[in-house]
Amino acid sequence: MAASPDYVTLVSSDDFTFVVQRSSACISPAVKRMLDPLNGFLEAKTNTVRFDNISGMVLEKVCEYFYYNEKNEGARDVTDIDFPTELCLELLMAADYLDV
Amino acid sequence: MVSKIRPPRRGLNGADVDFHTTWGILETAFREIHTKNASALSFEELYRNAYKIVLKKKGEELYNRVAHFEEQWLGTNVRSGIVKTLSAPLMLTDGAGRTLATTNERREAGEKFLKSLKQAWEDHQVCMGMLTDVLMYMDRVYCTDHHQPSIFAKSMGLFRDQILRTPVRQGAPTLLEILTRIILDQIQMDRDGESIDQFLIKSNVYMLEGLYQSNQEVEDAKLYLKPFEREFLRQSAEFYRDEGERLLKESDAGTYCRHAKRRIDEENDRCRSTLSESTTPKIQAVVEDELIRNKMKGLIEMESGVAFMVDNDKLHELSLVFDLEARVDPRKPELTKAMQKIIAEMGTNINNAAIAVSESAPQTELAPAEDQPEEGKTKGAPAKAINQQTVAALKWVEEILTLKDRFDNICKHSFVADQTVSTAINRSMADVINAFSRGSEYISLFIDDNMKRGIKDKSEAEVDATLEKSILVLRYLSDKDIFETYYKKHLCKRLLLKKSQSVEVEKQMISRMKIELGNSFTLKLEAMFKDMTLSEELSNGYRNHVAGMNEGADSRRAELSIKVLTSMTWPLEAFRSGTDGGEQEGGGGRTQIIYPPSILRVKEGFERFYSQKYSGRKLTWQNNMGDADLKARFPNSRHAVHDVNCSTYAMLILLLFNELPTNASATLEEIEARTNIPLDDLKRNLQSLAVAPKTRFLIKEPMSRDINAGDRFKWNSEYNSKFLRIKVGVVSAGNKVEGDRERKETEKKNNDSRGFAIEAAVVRIMKQRKELAHAQLLTETITQLTHQFRPDVNMIKKRVESLIEREYLERVEEAPVPSYRYLA
Repeated sequence: MAASPDYVTLVSSDDFTFVVQRSSACISPAVKRMLDPLNGFLEAKTNTVRFDNISGMVLEKVCEYFYYNEKNEGARDVTDIDFPTELCLELLMAADYLDV
Repeated sequence: MVSKIRPPRRGLNGADVDFHTTWGILETAFREIHTKNASALSFEELYRNAYKIVLKKKGEELYNRVAHFEEQWLGTNVRSGIVKTLSAPLMLTDGAGRTLATTNERREAGEKFLKSLKQAWEDHQVCMGMLTDVLMYMDRVYCTDHHQPSIFAKSMGLFRDQILRTPVRQGAPTLLEILTRIILDQIQMDRDGESIDQFLIKSNVYMLEGLYQSNQEVEDAKLYLKPFEREFLRQSAEFYRDEGERLLKESDAGTYCRHAKRRIDEENDRCRSTLSESTTPKIQAVVEDELIRNKMKGLIEMESGVAFMVDNDKLHELSLVFDLEARVDPRKPELTKAMQKIIAEMGTNINNAAIAVSESAPQTELAPAEDQPEEGKTKGAPAKAINQQTVAALKWVEEILTLKDRFDNICKHSFVADQTVSTAINRSMADVINAFSRGSEYISLFIDDNMKRGIKDKSEAEVDATLEKSILVLRYLSDKDIFETYYKKHLCKRLLLKKSQSVEVEKQMISRMKIELGNSFTLKLEAMFKDMTLSEELSNGYRNHVAGMNEGADSRRAELSIKVLTSMTWPLEAFRSGTDGGEQEGGGGRTQIIYPPSILRVKEGFERFYSQKYSGRKLTWQNNMGDADLKARFPNSRHAVHDVNCSTYAMLILLLFNELPTNASATLEEIEARTNIPLDDLKRNLQSLAVAPKTRFLIKEPMSRDINAGDRFKWNSEYNSKFLRIKVGVVSAGNKVEGDRERKETEKKNNDSRGFAIEAAVVRIMKQRKELAHAQLLTETITQLTHQFRPDVNMIKKRVESLIEREYLERVEEAPVPSYRYLA
């Protein structure tokens, strides 16, 4: 899991790791600030963010959304992303937490 | 559907969150952050903790705790650090005055203080940035919902209150006041030419810009704007007021201008490098007010002010003055006023000089135009005096032109051809020219002189320039109709007496005037030229006609070159001597000149020829204007035959003596009876023939200057001249300045023609409008006539009266304002 500056690692509460593009992950202001090298927190040093309150399943969906969002940035008439209904509430909470 | 949704896991909900533990974690972390020890902290953990607290609806408590924490931190740790740097030199300046500490000490102490303050501010900013990030969730959820300022803004407010607004000691000034004073002190040092750490000040200014008066972050209530900038502007104003006054007293205007300019640039730079850009316009205004607006008048009126600059052609300094004034007021009233005054003064000088010159020859005024027969050749004293007047006229025009050139130059180089200033200058020029009552006449004379002599050996370009110059002056003239009268008169003389150097140039001049003054102005002038061409054709036609008839093949037959002039267009009275003009009006009253048979034949021949060509036209012979070429034999002269050029009257007289036996003499009365030449003309011609030494063809008895009744004349057989061609001076050949009486006549005539012009204009306007108020009629009339002359209101009133009398107009009785109605 060598994290190049362009990629960051997101770790879920059940230890799933997701390596995503930094630019995508930073769509979430919360993640962006966590990784901001200016602040010099632990996360910024290790390029790894551990989410103790988000499960792997949800985090996967979140990562999917990051990419989906970045790809369709500014585009119109895009097909909606497909969310499993059962994850809906947890996703909402994660979204609130990450401010996306 | 609903059943399918998985309930969120408990952990996320954080029901087990204990506020105090969580806050404990956060507080420790914050302390770490403030001591720059954040690298071991997990953002996520802190974020999650804050998140949990907010979720538990403890947002308010968290917010207050954080605020309290910051307050404590700033109040104890940070402030003491800054206060420590307030060293003795700084504190000494407080009340006792600046001189207590040397500038150097003050500067160093000030810089130390500024540095620590800057450091504290920057640290605070960074830490609060991090805190805000961690507490992002709180900001987002709690602050927005409860309309609290974000924790960042709150902490900035705390910084302001704890650090800047707190007095150093009891009763001592606050840090903010000290800061302001120190910065101003440093700026003052900068103004005095010492170097300061601009960047350091700039950082502190940034801080002030980032802080607000109250917790509501209103844009125009920045800490920078209110106490600091106001103080800065006030102090600057004071400084520049003093400096301006000192400079006005101590140095000359040029230096002052340069200095002011430098100061303005300096302040600009200072705002960029040391203070805030937003101050630039304000400090500009202050400097402009103090150094320029309030001092401009003094500056311009200084001994070395604008007048001095103009006198010495200091274009650069003038342009400095212009730049300065242009800064404060686009209309530049002071400078304009000063320039106008200078022009008016210079112009008046020129005018007075011209009047002085013309009056320095009072004897000419006594004898206007009547007894200067030999203006060109024999420079008798009176002729000289008349010349002097002409010279005065030429000099006047030249000087006006120089003046104009000079100010145009100044305007172009110093005032970047500014519209307002050049308009003002033009207006003053016009005033100067129009203030001179003989302006129209002098300009015409100037052109006349150039046409006759000036353009001889000049290249086309030079001629062009001369014409252009004349037009230039003409443009300013408001009484263009007077000018027209004079010009017509002068042109007429030039054409008839063939004094003009080049018809081409004359025509050019006319076409220029046409462009400048419009068609109607040159109509008559052009007609004059047409007459000239027609006459030439006519003369040629007649010559051919005579040659064709071969009438007697008489070699002794006098040749005739005729000029037929339309009587309306030519100002023929210019040639009549002023006294008997009235009597000679109308062909009927004219005395019939008795021609010798040889001339009579030619005359009648031409009359026949002319009436064949144009039936129904009546020719009136203007003998007083013609001239003749004679071949004369004098027995004792060096040359067997002299070519003599003289006026028609002189020719008649000479021919008369041809018929008399040699040595026979004739009295004045006899000559008058035999030629029927009007007495005045006769006297003048006899004077040139018998008195002027170079053309003394006749001997007069008794020998005296004046021709008196009973004088006897006889053929001067002793006449001797080394010249083959002799020109007998032609009466009133030159165009001179008019005598008083002549001028009065011209004026009267002019007034008459103005009267007609006014009447015509009034009728034109009324015909169109049918009914018009008095005031409106006046304005419209003036507008219509203004390109010809400046109508006199009284004259218009009189003319309207007379139109009413003649029932062109009537007064409208029931109108609320006096009005007129047109009667068709």
